[in-house]
Amino acid sequence: MSTLLPNNFSDLEEFAGWALLTSTERNRMRRTTPMAEINAFYNAMQPRLAEVLAYLDQFSLREMPQDARRLLYLSLALAEITIAVELFHEPKVTGGCDPERFVVIREIDP
Amino acid sequence: MKTVMTNRRWIKQHPDLGTGPVPTDTCTSPELFELERERIFRRSWLNVGREDDFPEPGSYVVRDLAVANTSVLLVRGKDRKIRAFHNVCTHRGNRLVDKEKGLCKGRFVCRFHSWAFDTSGQLTWVSDEANFYDIDKGALGLRPIAADVWEGFIFINLSPNPSETLAEYLAGMVQQIRGYPFGEQRLLCRYRVEEKANWKVILDAQNEVYHLPFLHITYPDFCPMNEQKFSRIQNFTRFGRHTAYSVELNTDHQMKPVEAIAVGANPRGGQVHPSMIGWFDFYTVFPNFCMLFLAGTYVTYNIWPVAVDRSVWEVSMYHPATDKPSERFAQEYNRCLLRDLLQEDASNHEAIQASLESGALTHFQFQDEEIQIRHFHKEVRRHLFGEENGTAAARNGRETTDLRLK
Repeated sequence: MSTLLPNNFSDLEEFAGWALLTSTERNRMRRTTPMAEINAFYNAMQPRLAEVLAYLDQFSLREMPQDARRLLYLSLALAEITIAVELFHEPKVTGGCDPERFVVIREIDP
Repeated sequence: MKTVMTNRRWIKQHPDLGTGPVPTDTCTSPELFELERERIFRRSWLNVGREDDFPEPGSYVVRDLAVANTSVLLVRGKDRKIRAFHNVCTHRGNRLVDKEKGLCKGRFVCRFHSWAFDTSGQLTWVSDEANFYDIDKGALGLRPIAADVWEGFIFINLSPNPSETLAEYLAGMVQQIRGYPFGEQRLLCRYRVEEKANWKVILDAQNEVYHLPFLHITYPDFCPMNEQKFSRIQNFTRFGRHTAYSVELNTDHQMKPVEAIAVGANPRGGQVHPSMIGWFDFYTVFPNFCMLFLAGTYVTYNIWPVAVDRSVWEVSMYHPATDKPSERFAQEYNRCLLRDLLQEDASNHEAIQASLESGALTHFQFQDEEIQIRHFHKEVRRHLFGEENGTAAARNGRETTDLRLK
């Protein structure tokens, strides 16, 4: 029985660790996770993404049940790792500068 | 307007920009950096934020502008007007406000001797006032800095008597951008990137799309390309000191699965506003402010010089305000994509600076699709050396700077 994510998305439960609250944390997780695990997350969630977004759109960003909010953060993590999967085929930006130099000084929440 | 894919030769419309190489000296010379301080940054209108950074009366921001050797206090008064002051107590010159931003509920109080100023800059309290001699509190308010607002963007001018109003300075940009729904957009995120590079090295790297299919090899077809797979801009316009270049949507771009869902979930379908020239418009607002309009979103860059070889690049991404989770997902995708592409750009900046400092390269070569940069360097040189020398510098790029520094 699923506890972290809404019931219809219990198959994504094993990736719930990606549901981090800030972009900086999600980016660090991407950079420190082997590509095979990133691909596994992408391959599991990409086919469900349209369904996930339709489900989340029942709610407003300001008022969501906790499990839906976790699913929202999981989708934001998918946005993060998608760049690794669809563009670079590795966790980091190939040939990019040290990503820690891009310091977030303000960001919207969520 | 369709993009012309043949060699357009923008230069034919702008022969004053010349076709010769352009000197690299302004990126490496400490003396020219000092001239830039005086003749560009202490005289130009500089963007220092947006009205949204000041949500209520008393909201303030302190900006330390290394390039102007000053600290600026920006504050929204009780009358809701945003004013700028030198962040200096008029008693003996102590730095008045230390915090980077905050809400001043009453007065700014100097910690040295407790002199106090209200949010309109007036000196309202002098401790032990009766023991001073003929002190005129009315004349001892905070030293003001010219400030004005355009479309919610706050600009300051450090000249005691700016020679142009902000609207005059922005020239035809004001008409072109009029009506853009800035008020509907919210700051999604702001990055601060410290770089060991001259501010123009950072700006130049963004001020063209020639590099896109090469440097951004994993996302090469952002803009339409000709048969040889070279990018072509759709439009180039000069507005006084400022420029805009535009790119048409590349309908041949092949979208990946998640990208396609993100693009589909874009707020308002990523519509292009009528004030936009292309699908992507890049404005360089002289000297150090860039505005990028991309479908339904916009991004700004403030590139702050710190020293001739050091800068701070601030990247602010704005998206339509939304309560809809799928739109928030699309925003996050856009954010991650742009951030990563900019990290590819940033990897070059410090390498370029190091190379230029070796002295190996005295001049840049610019092709027709880099005419924006040619204009920009001409403006820099015009401000430093005057009308005639600036033009000559752009035309032949041969003269040395030593003579003109005397």
